Amino acid sequence: MNKPSKTKNLYLLIALACIILGIVFSVHLRAARSVQQNESIRKTQELTVQVEQMKKERDVLQAQLTRMRGQLENMLTIGPHASPGKEDIEPAMIFAGVTELTGSGVKVTLQDGSAVQKPGDNPNFYLVHDEDILKVVNELKAAGAEAVAVNDQRLTAITGISCSGPSIRVNKKALVPPLVITAIGSPETLEGALKMRGGVVEFLQFCGIQVSIKKLENIAVPAYKGGIKMNYIAATDIGVLPVSEDENG
Amino acid sequence: MLQERVNLNRSFFFSFTVAVFILGVLLGFHLRVTNAGKTAVPGDREQKLAMEKKNLVEDLYEMQLEINDLSTKLEQAGIGQKEAEEALKLELAKIKQFAGLSGVSGPGVEFVVQCRQGQTEPVSGRALQNITDQHLLKIVNELYCAGAEAVAINGQRFTAVSEIRLAGGHINVNGVPLAPPFHISAIGDASALKGRLALKEGLSDYLNVYGISIEALEKSKIVVPAYTDRLSYEYAMVVKENL
Repeated sequence: MNKPSKTKNLYLLIALACIILGIVFSVHLRAARSVQQNESIRKTQELTVQVEQMKKERDVLQAQLTRMRGQLENMLTIGPHASPGKEDIEPAMIFAGVTELTGSGVKVTLQDGSAVQKPGDNPNFYLVHDEDILKVVNELKAAGAEAVAVNDQRLTAITGISCSGPSIRVNKKALVPPLVITAIGSPETLEGALKMRGGVVEFLQFCGIQVSIKKLENIAVPAYKGGIKMNYIAATDIGVLPVSEDENG
Repeated sequence: MLQERVNLNRSFFFSFTVAVFILGVLLGFHLRVTNAGKTAVPGDREQKLAMEKKNLVEDLYEMQLEINDLSTKLEQAGIGQKEAEEALKLELAKIKQFAGLSGVSGPGVEFVVQCRQGQTEPVSGRALQNITDQHLLKIVNELYCAGAEAVAINGQRFTAVSEIRLAGGHINVNGVPLAPPFHISAIGDASALKGRLALKEGLSDYLNVYGISIEALEKSKIVVPAYTDRLSYEYAMVVKENL
């Protein structure tokens, strides 16, 4: 007599458990779906698409800008309208950083340290910082570098090197590691200046950063590809050539 | 009878345990999924993208302006001899200005960097420091990051190949030895320039600890001189593209 009622009870319980299981399952599915439509994820996806699109647009504009600048430069140096003091123009354009250059020089590669960190170590210690690049670049300039670029960003007179979160920005563009600094100049002098005892390389290696320097007979330094903005410099200063005109004249 | 009852009890508990176990697993999974909604996108990811977008917008705008400028000049150059010369002259002037080869003026800030007079006691356990090349290098870099359009230190225009380097007892800029106090003149948005250095735990605070003061004087007209050394290139060659 006991048996059938016990089995009935058992079936009832299992049925109940199944119902609860079913409810949980459906709630779970709905939750999983709604997560995809979650506000912040949707926004992030949207932003990612926008950023990608704008990057493409930037590349197109960059190419256009480089081409147009190149045309004007060609006119300045070789065309029929070439200015009288054209021997002075090419150095000025190199100095401004608006032309692509080649020549002998060095290629310095900086990479985050790969040393296994001991617990308690500051992980920041092993990373390449904006300051490290600033130091290397400054040393190269002091050693007579004629042009310097970091990754594909040419350093101009008004280039800032900054740090935003994990990425380093040069000319306001985020760089992708490894960081490669290229400089045109005497390869021996440039290398020597960096490897000096108590110099930059020694310091960086002490910080656990991997530094490699390659002397190259032929190295390319790209042109500056951004816009030249002069929002604060008085307009009257542009268009007159206070220094060079006298020289040219 | 007793044996049967025990059996029944055992199978009942067994299936009940299985059901509860599955329920538990599902519940846990469910909680994780709902939590994932909050963690799948780290809070700063969206912020970073927004920053990136803002940068790109500015970038695109600047480039568009530059392209407009260049195309006007190119158009003008196509009109005739006189117009072409005029356009090229303007372009050359712009390039020279950008390079730091012409003296310029505009609104900005003059910073005076010096060791604080009369301070002999360092702040809490730090040693007083002299102003080093690294300090000035950082200041100048920060100013460029804040959008400075022209910078000079004690009258030496800062260019693409200018160094700030300790040499003996002096600090060399463009190979010219300078001595404190250092006057750094920068043309640009005055409040942005000042603000960048005055950030909490920024450079001003950092240098202050070592007894170095940065005084900022906002001016409506700052004159930044031209780079005056001769330009000569021994190693670099221009890559000529076929246009």
